[in-house]
Amino acid sequence: MRRYSAFAIAREALRYHAGWEKAWASPEPRRKYDVVIVGAGGHGLATAFYLGRNFGITNVAVIEKGWLGGGNTGRNTTIIRSNYLQDPSAAIYEKSRSLYETMSQDLNYNVMYSPRGVMMLAQTQAEVRGYLRTAQANTLQGVTTRFIDPPEVKKLVPIINLDGPRYPVLGALWQDRAGTARHDAVAWGYARACSDMGMDIIQQCEVTAVRREGGRVVGVDTSRGAIDCDKLGIVVAGNSGVMAERAGFRLPIDSVALQALVSEPIKPCMDVVVMANTVHGYMSQSDKGEMVIGGGADGYNNYTQRGSFHHIEETVRALVETFPMVSRLKMLRQWGGIVDMTGDRSPILSKTPVEGVFINCGWGTGGFKATPGSGWAMAELMAKGHSPLAEAYTLDRFREGRFIDESVAAGVAH
Amino acid sequence: MLILHCPYCGVMADETELHGGGEAHLTRHGPGSSDEEFHDYLFAKENPRGVHFERWRHVNGCGKWFHAARDTATLEVFGTYSAQTTEPPQAIRDAITARRPGWTWRHLAGSAK
Amino acid sequence: MSEAASALDGASFEGLVRVADAGLRGMVTLRGDLGADALHAAVKQVSGCDMPGQRKITAAGDSAVAWMAPDEALLLCPHGQADATCAALARALDGVHHLAVNVSDARATFALEGDDGALREVLAKLAPADLSAEAFGPGDFRRTRLAQVPGAFWMPRQGAARVICFRSVAQYMFDLLTTAAAKGSGVGYFQA
Repeated sequence: MRRYSAFAIAREALRYHAGWEKAWASPEPRRKYDVVIVGAGGHGLATAFYLGRNFGITNVAVIEKGWLGGGNTGRNTTIIRSNYLQDPSAAIYEKSRSLYETMSQDLNYNVMYSPRGVMMLAQTQAEVRGYLRTAQANTLQGVTTRFIDPPEVKKLVPIINLDGPRYPVLGALWQDRAGTARHDAVAWGYARACSDMGMDIIQQCEVTAVRREGGRVVGVDTSRGAIDCDKLGIVVAGNSGVMAERAGFRLPIDSVALQALVSEPIKPCMDVVVMANTVHGYMSQSDKGEMVIGGGADGYNNYTQRGSFHHIEETVRALVETFPMVSRLKMLRQWGGIVDMTGDRSPILSKTPVEGVFINCGWGTGGFKATPGSGWAMAELMAKGHSPLAEAYTLDRFREGRFIDESVAAGVAH
Repeated sequence: MLILHCPYCGVMADETELHGGGEAHLTRHGPGSSDEEFHDYLFAKENPRGVHFERWRHVNGCGKWFHAARDTATLEVFGTYSAQTTEPPQAIRDAITARRPGWTWRHLAGSAK
Repeated sequence: MSEAASALDGASFEGLVRVADAGLRGMVTLRGDLGADALHAAVKQVSGCDMPGQRKITAAGDSAVAWMAPDEALLLCPHGQADATCAALARALDGVHHLAVNVSDARATFALEGDDGALREVLAKLAPADLSAEAFGPGDFRRTRLAQVPGAFWMPRQGAARVICFRSVAQYMFDLLTTAAAKGSGVGYFQA
């Protein structure tokens, strides 16, 4: 694989850009792999990448029924942060955030990681207490966050209205090394690096059945033929329950559509990410100038990856009070992505009742930020059978009552 | 935008008038049940991609609970029916069978009588 | 005893239509089996109105009765008569399973008057209900939401509507209605 560099751009500029090679190969599936990963989104590709990078396992296929990064990887609002409350969450999300810091260099692919800072507004006394507690927990966990007062909020976000009639801004939880990244580039960068290691990325190939012998996985049937494997990783957010069913077990998740929208592009006006959980909306400005706005989830199980019209009104209405300038914005697009909601709003990274099958799901409304950390932990789990980062996230925790309650830190009201 | 017919007040109610109440026809397990039953009651939910039965409440309307049968993959609504039942009525099952032959949900199936 | 006052003390607004605090109104919630003859007779005796059918409202003189749910009706009467109405219902329904409560002071009422099309438009901007003349007119009663709060409305006649909401959100409702009725905001959707 030819490296991307300033020199390469100069070289290609002189020969009509005819020398760029495809970022990843699209081979026909082989008959057998050591590891098959179902799902070529960010988490699946990151899992494959770290299997190769950290454990030298490169006889790997990543199978995708649609196109690469076409699920939640391409539908999120690109926010990266690690200001969670519980220790297992802080560990995996902070690992993830730290991997984002060097991702462009590690992958030789510009993922446009922008540690612009994430601010979670406290607009009720309960939120003030909650975020003070989180800030203190984060200090103990080694995650750099702090609680800031309203004048500092105003300094960081001049367009904010601190004195909203219903929900004044009473402070905020601020993480200055949190931020955003270019979501598609994360999937593309991992795909290119995986392909370079000799892994097969097979798109438009749906897994229709998981073949088992004596309680152990032996392969999968796909729309492009049978593929044998020793280990199978299911990393298919939005379709996890359906795939688990095909593998013969059940997941404690609900699938719901999470809503988002963007405005027309405008001049730079806000260089941090602001989340307003009480009024239920969050916003950042993309490099193109669009205001990227995250809303709530639909209140019922559904698999339709589409925007729900009334969410535009609800979300924008919520934001207008805190950001009066939003009232003059035209909205450009809206969409929905299907998220796996668990009872404690924490993910599942676990072995399953089927030997050799591993599941990575349940990231709820906040999976993008976890992409590298999730892949790192999943790869370790699949290679070694256990991973310190994934230890708490077993499928059994629901049976055993060991919940990792993040319904507050997960941010979006569910 | 999901629109359901409220069987109590007869309006075609848009989802902003309604509140989803989750999976329908649950058997509740509490004190005295086995660990397995309690776990399944709490966590082993139906989350099908396809035919699903749910409880809904016409919260900004007549305030009544009712049941709905719909497809979670297409948002097609097969029908709504009274809350005072532990199983979907035959007419609803027939309506689903007409549109989704071979459907199943828990122990229910298209051909079930 | 202190003097009763309506939520917004007669506030009014002129725009696409006139929006006004409709003042104090007596309201009695009656719960029971609305299909039972005993309730029909009691409602008729106390209010002079027939029991309304599904999503209907009936009126007689100062009184009206609205269909709220299969087991709930709302009796409207002059504010000072609400307690007497409750007592009369209790007497008429002695021995019949029911509940009658004076909820007058929990509610606010607004009156909208003006062009019929404009009036339908003001409500349609706020509620996910079909306000076309074919679907909704005098005699109909609709419980729904108006923006973020529950409410109900009906049309006593062409070119007039009444909106009921909880008294705690009266100012919000007035602001909604006046914004929806702001001059120059007409869409003309219901104009013939």
